[in-house]
Amino acid sequence: MSFGAGWYPVALSNGLETGRSAGTRLFDRELCIWRDANGMAHAWEDRCPHRGMRLSFGFVRGDRIACLYHGWQYDTQGHCRFIPAHPDLDVPDTIGVATYTCTERLGMLWVYSDREVETPPDLPIGPREIVPVRSLYVDCKPAAVMQALAARSKNIGSAGVTLLSLDADGRDLLTGIQPYGEVKTALHMVLPGDPGVNRGAVRHAAAAWAEGLRRCLEQGTEQIAERAATHEVAP
Amino acid sequence: MNQVATLVFHGRFRVESFLDFVRHRADRLALHAGIGTVTADCIEVSVAGDEELLDAFELACSLGPIDCIVLDHCRIRTIESRANAYVPRSGGL
Repeated sequence: MSFGAGWYPVALSNGLETGRSAGTRLFDRELCIWRDANGMAHAWEDRCPHRGMRLSFGFVRGDRIACLYHGWQYDTQGHCRFIPAHPDLDVPDTIGVATYTCTERLGMLWVYSDREVETPPDLPIGPREIVPVRSLYVDCKPAAVMQALAARSKNIGSAGVTLLSLDADGRDLLTGIQPYGEVKTALHMVLPGDPGVNRGAVRHAAAAWAEGLRRCLEQGTEQIAERAATHEVAP
Repeated sequence: MNQVATLVFHGRFRVESFLDFVRHRADRLALHAGIGTVTADCIEVSVAGDEELLDAFELACSLGPIDCIVLDHCRIRTIESRANAYVPRSGGL
């Protein structure tokens, strides 16, 4: 199968704290994700237009992120607003970072993969109560992971949304698939339902199950089918 | 402070490549730019805008694209301008 333009999860929301930045990839494109002081998340190309330094190494200061290298500061629209070496310069809007549309649903940060689309379709996922479980990084091709998981799940996303509902030993485990790179896939997992019930032991059991799933995926898709048939419990 | 500067680059140029580079950098820095003399070893560019951005433009062009070599560059003229009412000598970019 192939992945088209659409919404892809790139992190669990609780993994990106206010005032922090992090690097990730989508189809091998390097992204900087960061959360401003107001709690709003942003996803940009991970490259300062000045000298190419990764912005994910930068510092969040209020509603701006500053490049680690020369301190150029960018506002939430990606426009450069301050250059320390030229403090009096009124920086033109043409100096800016390439930005992606992003939003948060189901406890995940979602990015629309095609920057050329000015108005991406709404992410068709409504608010639900969830408990974040974990993110997993699997050394497998995204298409192979998708194919292996599709055999034991139902796709509850819609066109352009890669969201699966996995049967994790009888529990529904919502899993967003991030095509990280050519041979790497990230899975972002949450438990839907009452947080009061799913925190603690239930969440730990789901996380352990997910760890076993990763081993199976990396060992080969045949074992996935076998595992699905026997409902093997991960150690 | 707005300025108008004429920059002259000497070197070995693939002309279209260098001019594409000039256009891109001028757009990125929101500068008004125009092309003067163009030969395979000398390219003259006039630009108008903020002083600091003119400096950045000159530095970027002194590096140039990978298929051109800039051996020397200089400003032959700089005048202060109160507005961006600059008209390129040989047509805008």
